[in-house]
Amino acid sequence: MEWKLRPARDHGLPAEERLRSLSRERGLGSLLLGSAWRAALRGYLAAFHRLQVTGRDHLPPPPFVLIANHSSHLDALTLSAVLRGEAARRAHALAAGDTFFTSTLSSAFAAYAVNALPVWRKRTKSGELATLRERLVEDRLVYILFPEGTRARDGAMAPFQPGIGVLVAGTEVPVVPCFLEGCHAAWPPTRSWPRPGRLRLRIGAPLRFADLPATRAGWEEAARRCEAAVRALSPPVAAAGSPPPVGPSPR
Amino acid sequence: MIRQDVFAHPVTIGIVAATVAVLAIAAAVIGTMTLRGRGTPELRRELWLRLGSWCLLLPLMMGPVLLGREWVIGAVTLLGLACLREFDRATGLFREPLVAALVVLGILAANFAALDHWYGFFVALWPLTVGVIVVGTIPRDRPAGYIQRTALGIFAYMLFGAGLAHLSYMANEPGFRPILLMLLTTVALSDVAAFTFGKLIGGPKLLPATSPNKSVSGALGALAVTTLLVAALSFFIFRGTPMAQPHWLLTFGVIVGIGAQAGDLMLSSIKRDIGIKDMGTILPGHGGVLDRFNSLLLVAPAAFHFIQFFVGFGMGQPTRLITGG
Repeated sequence: MEWKLRPARDHGLPAEERLRSLSRERGLGSLLLGSAWRAALRGYLAAFHRLQVTGRDHLPPPPFVLIANHSSHLDALTLSAVLRGEAARRAHALAAGDTFFTSTLSSAFAAYAVNALPVWRKRTKSGELATLRERLVEDRLVYILFPEGTRARDGAMAPFQPGIGVLVAGTEVPVVPCFLEGCHAAWPPTRSWPRPGRLRLRIGAPLRFADLPATRAGWEEAARRCEAAVRALSPPVAAAGSPPPVGPSPR
Repeated sequence: MIRQDVFAHPVTIGIVAATVAVLAIAAAVIGTMTLRGRGTPELRRELWLRLGSWCLLLPLMMGPVLLGREWVIGAVTLLGLACLREFDRATGLFREPLVAALVVLGILAANFAALDHWYGFFVALWPLTVGVIVVGTIPRDRPAGYIQRTALGIFAYMLFGAGLAHLSYMANEPGFRPILLMLLTTVALSDVAAFTFGKLIGGPKLLPATSPNKSVSGALGALAVTTLLVAALSFFIFRGTPMAQPHWLLTFGVIVGIGAQAGDLMLSSIKRDIGIKDMGTILPGHGGVLDRFNSLLLVAPAAFHFIQFFVGFGMGQPTRLITGG
């Protein structure tokens, strides 16, 4: 009789190495901490930022990749807070290793509360991207990532990097474009802490890239389509470069 | 609940003193090896690592026993949860968080029953928790993988909840310290004896496919040492009770000796089936918590029920301390 006994991908790694591993899989403790963190986050976003979300029905069942414009630490927090159920439990924010995984304490917080996986800017190895791509499909995960690669210092959206294409080109995994408004005003990169201010999140229809080859041309094309989809969700003024005043939500 | 002085029993004093002496001698031997350059650097490093782990582990194991009843129950609860964590990550049960959560609740409930000194609830939890695990995931309407996740959940609860919690329940006996210290140390010594006899005598392997490093001579040597040591210590612990007859004391020794090695072989079987070397990395030189405490898993209920048959635990002590009734 054969059972499917599959140890955790991170089995055998020392505790500290496990925190920074792309193979880290969540256990019961991480799930409980993560859901407590998300509940606190939702309360905070409702109370201090009156977060409005439109297009939630565009979110498919896992696996999928959630992408958005990036100008603030509030971006990842907002995207992770709006996920529910299975998608929330399977969600990993792909976070800058040199910002969130520098010390053991910050790594533990990033790993256990936010369930972040580290991406090391400018020194990401192709094997690491291959691991992320494999886990996305096999473990039916949800990735939250910002294809610009870094927070826009002036709030204006920068061109997308082709890394998003490496993860999804040639797969059936949908990419869900989102546009975040108000995050830069509430917590720009120049401030240490956020201030209250209204946030709005628009979630667009999923994109698929099964038709694209897993080559540089395919990756760049995927990034171009993703960028266009995110820009299409932005209000006209924001697309031109300066964030607009946030008004009442259409929905 | 009657509380005895920490060192009220001479066996408690003897075991603690012997443990400290063994650690000191081991440190002296390894220190001499290091100073004189005996053995390879790798061997010396391995020995220091193992000794360091023991110096950390033994106070963690013996400290709660010396501190008192509630400390024992707390420590056994944490041990059960740590074993579950390693087991569920090695087998993949952690991917079924609902089953893992039910096992956690089962472990907490079994130890609560011990803390409450409520034997009826303690034994009722075996079938009741199994029932909860069996039913738990049915409402999700996902029959694929049902047998595997349910069986792994029951396996985990039986070993780390129901089985280990017998150590907790033993603490309801006012004179629990010498009994628990005897079990903890003889079970650990059984491992060391098996290793030593195996190295000294060698000979045919015991179960080469399950555990290639274990030999028949090691198993028999460890069984002999454990049996005699347990029987001798039990002679002093259970003096004046119906258990204090040579044949029962030797039977008890054999039960502890076989239980310790069976627990070890059980974990080897689990690891071989999965294809992993160690259950974890938390104890340098040992592996995981389960790699160290596997021998206790089967000894705890076996020793409990043998002693219970002749002597009982917490007889005449107040019961249902928390729930009343």
